[in-house]
Amino acid sequence: MCGDPSTLEGFQWLICYLSTGKHQKFYMSFLVVIGLLIAVAPLALAMGFGGALAKRSKILPLRWLGSLYTNMVRGIPDLIFFLFVPIALDQLFEMIRHKIKCPEVTDPIYQGNDFVVCAAAKLPLGNADAWVHNVYGFVMACIAFAIVFGAFAANTIDGALRAVPEKQLETARAYGMTERQTFWRVQLPQMWGYALPGLSNLWMILVKATPLLFLLGIEDIVYWAKELGGFKSDRFDYPHPDWRAYYFAALMVFYLLTTWVSEKFFIRLNQRVNVGRVGGEL
Amino acid sequence: MSHSEVILQLSGIHKRFDELEVLKGVDLTAKKGDVVALIGSSGSGKSTLLRCANLLEQPEQGDIVFRGDAVKWAANRAGRAPADADQVRLMRTNLSMVFQQFNLWQHMTILQNVMEAPVTVLGQPKDQVEQRAVQLLDRVGIGDKLDKYPSQLSGGQQQRAAIARALCMEPAAMLFDEPTSALDPELEAEVIKVIRELASEGRTMIIVTHDMNMARDLATEVIFLHQGLIEEKGTPSQVLDNPKSERLQQFLSATAAH
Repeated sequence: MCGDPSTLEGFQWLICYLSTGKHQKFYMSFLVVIGLLIAVAPLALAMGFGGALAKRSKILPLRWLGSLYTNMVRGIPDLIFFLFVPIALDQLFEMIRHKIKCPEVTDPIYQGNDFVVCAAAKLPLGNADAWVHNVYGFVMACIAFAIVFGAFAANTIDGALRAVPEKQLETARAYGMTERQTFWRVQLPQMWGYALPGLSNLWMILVKATPLLFLLGIEDIVYWAKELGGFKSDRFDYPHPDWRAYYFAALMVFYLLTTWVSEKFFIRLNQRVNVGRVGGEL
Repeated sequence: MSHSEVILQLSGIHKRFDELEVLKGVDLTAKKGDVVALIGSSGSGKSTLLRCANLLEQPEQGDIVFRGDAVKWAANRAGRAPADADQVRLMRTNLSMVFQQFNLWQHMTILQNVMEAPVTVLGQPKDQVEQRAVQLLDRVGIGDKLDKYPSQLSGGQQQRAAIARALCMEPAAMLFDEPTSALDPELEAEVIKVIRELASEGRTMIIVTHDMNMARDLATEVIFLHQGLIEEKGTPSQVLDNPKSERLQQFLSATAAH
């Protein structure tokens, strides 16, 4: 039915316009954003736990590591971190692969301003499909997001663990619990109530930070909105004036919806974890 | 009485918090069936002494012997610390504490609070512990509150739940740290009733209290602490009705006044 776009009119034209291959890529890119959120949330939470436990560790070097991690991420603008991590990781991986896969190459990796590794060490390999490149870029982006948000989560979790009243822990010890039992049975379950406001806030910031994917060269919703919304001359199948405002308005609706659903979810979750707390929901 | 087993013996206990010396060499012995009441004004060191008994506070000097087993110490930078964590835990599981502020675990229901330590620490089977916990909660009069959270109960109900939690450990002795001080008078009565019943069963108890009536009615021995030292001790009638020292006389007339 969309055979010749120039013959279409009104509503039918719009339907056909909105179902072009590029538009389907645009719709898929929403899934990329949602996929990033779903992948990063548990990763960042795990990094956060690791960081918080490191900061509280009895072992001094671990404490240093935890503080270094959280302070470094806190002190460096997110944007710089997002740009730095994928490049740095990429070069690190390629360097390691270069040493393993091409031991016969003796030329230095850094040649002047160039970073040169052998073809077999390239990530992804030069002859890899486009989708491999996309997935690789996406994974790198996930790692960058997880590192940054993990550091914030580590601070939130560390603070929440401290916020559990000492009396509750002392009572556990008075009843013979080991430090480990005290942590798992009392401190950790009570921690959630203190951590959740901070963590839900972080989630909102994470949602709103997803357009940074665009900066990492991933074809995300911002990329496609710009691409599709721009002025299209008569050379195109579906010529139209500059519609970027409409496309970006659609993105705003998407983000508003996402944050609105998130908020509902966190209100429910907050009620759950606060069961029994003085002043908490019952 | 003289032949009954010594449950807990503290001797020459010294405890300081930074510059402040709270206990300056205190002895305490609790034999099976004893109810020892520790009285004294705030700051006299009576709560600290109780907390030394299960090592929530660690005295710098002095010996603690639980059922003939002396606490082992190891020197460290701060002075000394208990050397054997398992020994400390064994003591603590046998000396259940009831706190002034109840300290029920806020994220657990009343039943879970009572079951927690027997299951997690003593490793007893859940169904068996549950049966005992339900009976104990019934006994302290809150059998209908099993699934409530601590914040949903009155102070008196919370303290009775805390007593059930202590009893569920089947301890050798119970340590009460001002169990009624945080309660309104009408709620106080229901907690005192429970403690009274426990005393009449011949349970070994050490009670820190402001309540002279409770001390008089329940105690087999009353110890009056003043500025970190035992000023006077004896039977309730000796200590409370015929105080010899001037400080104890002042203390008793001050507590009688309100």
